[in-house]
Amino acid sequence: MTIGGWIFLGASLTFVWGLTIWCFNTVLRGAKIEPPPDSLGM
Amino acid sequence: MVDTPHHETHHHPERWNTRLGVILAVAGSAVGLGNFLRFPGQAAANGGGAFMIPYFVALLLVGIPVAWAEWTMARYGGGKGLHSAPAIYGVIGRGAIWRYFGAFGILIPLAVSFYYTFIEAWCLGYFWQYLTGGIGIDTAAPIDEQVATASAFYNNFIGTANDGLIFGGSYATLVFWVITFAINIWLVYRGISGGIEKFVRYAMPLMAVAALIVLIRVLTLGTPDPAKPDQSVINGLGYMWNPDFSALLVPQTWLAAAGQIFFSLSIGFGIIINYASYLRRKDEIVLSGLTAVSTNEVFEVGFGGLITLTAAFVFLGLTGTAAAVATGTFGLGFNTLPIVFAHMGPFGNFIAAVWFFMLFLAAITSSLSMYQPALAFFRESLGLSRKAGMALVVGICGVGSFLTIWFSKDGRFLGTLDDWVGTFLVFVLATGQIVMFSWIFGVKRGMKEAHQGAEIRIPDFYRPIIKWVSPIYLLIIFVAFCVMNLGDWIRGVGQQPAAQLALALVGAVAVMLLVMVRIGEKRWRAAGIDIDDRNPATYEE
Repeated sequence: MTIGGWIFLGASLTFVWGLTIWCFNTVLRGAKIEPPPDSLGM
Repeated sequence: MVDTPHHETHHHPERWNTRLGVILAVAGSAVGLGNFLRFPGQAAANGGGAFMIPYFVALLLVGIPVAWAEWTMARYGGGKGLHSAPAIYGVIGRGAIWRYFGAFGILIPLAVSFYYTFIEAWCLGYFWQYLTGGIGIDTAAPIDEQVATASAFYNNFIGTANDGLIFGGSYATLVFWVITFAINIWLVYRGISGGIEKFVRYAMPLMAVAALIVLIRVLTLGTPDPAKPDQSVINGLGYMWNPDFSALLVPQTWLAAAGQIFFSLSIGFGIIINYASYLRRKDEIVLSGLTAVSTNEVFEVGFGGLITLTAAFVFLGLTGTAAAVATGTFGLGFNTLPIVFAHMGPFGNFIAAVWFFMLFLAAITSSLSMYQPALAFFRESLGLSRKAGMALVVGICGVGSFLTIWFSKDGRFLGTLDDWVGTFLVFVLATGQIVMFSWIFGVKRGMKEAHQGAEIRIPDFYRPIIKWVSPIYLLIIFVAFCVMNLGDWIRGVGQQPAAQLALALVGAVAVMLLVMVRIGEKRWRAAGIDIDDRNPATYEE
């Protein structure tokens, strides 16, 4: 594994994991979709 | 079973119960076998780490904007009470031509399901096989013998030697297909929130846990054979990630990267158009769409990019791994990796079982999304009950799947469907819909629509990207793809009766869908639905 390989591996993982964690964190802090009145809910 | 599930009535149409549910369902439809098997092979063959540059460029210029466009079109159409691609495209494109074009949005998932559920059954079959003792690879035997054992099992399991093989002998593959198909149909019949959403809320986290187990095992393999010190985990990662910048000067690298993003995100499959149509206008879509995309990327780059080739390299070395990549997605997944698992020692069968269970979950969360658009369209166009609509889906998919399974010799029937529907028509649909969204619906209106209820804003620089860059990028990939492949494909169809039959089947289903669009068009007009979007004020809040 070259230094370039580590850089690309690290940068790619940081990008995809960072974006996903930020997205889910923001989504889970947001409002839920209201369930329809006759639904069971989750 | 009752005809109408308890959560769906005429007054309260189907909806997603939770925001997380729709995100996981869309992400689940995108995460499939390609994330774990196709992506690493494409990256390693096209510049290694350097491949990630065109890959992320394509993600930002095509993947994310087209996904936002699909979510926006779907929610807008859903606001008019429409849930199928033909009806929604008619609204967005404001005319009958786009309505008929939307038939591709049903044809693609339907025809892809003919073979996808069959492949899904392979995953379930391999999972069961490893739970009950493995596939008989003797690690003490010469490597050629191990390869022959793995190949023989695979070829028998999928019946490549002759047509009709799966319907004779042990029937094992057929049994796994029936189980797989039945689970899919049952979950789709249960409805959007009662079936698909409930399932993905368990399946997606479970898939992540399974991927993590396999990843940890692979990264702790070290250097299993002291006689071969080069075959280590670190060098395995290097095989996938060491950058070869000269590849960036080759157009094929950029095409491969764009193609990988395109197929990985399931853009142009007609799936998001259906799934996101069950949202209300006030429901968020910009962040939700981005979250679904990023989830797919975690499974692809974060798991697929670390597991598959690293494991293969540690046991097979440079030459063996390169040869495995050359066998393609199925060869890598079902021929090579079983040999790798056999070398993992006492826990090899367990890790293999976890791996194939993970692939099964990845496949089923995708196949669910292939049946649902057809069910929605049949009900919407013909006015069918859920039970009757489902019966029609089962009938069509039963025939299509039977033919796919029967004509198993060399996988030509399956391969033809994958080439012409799962690749060529997907390009056509994706390119057409981004043109429709950008140039007919309008980027300005589209952005305004997307921002209804949005928690994050789409950056302004995405306006010219969506209007010009994404459509042109897609057109270039499409043209290059046609130049490189169509000649061979057409010659292949001319020489293979099974391929001709596959295309005849696709043609017959296409004609049936076009007739249904015509019937639906009359019904929707008679019901007073604004199917040409003449009056945007009819939008339901």
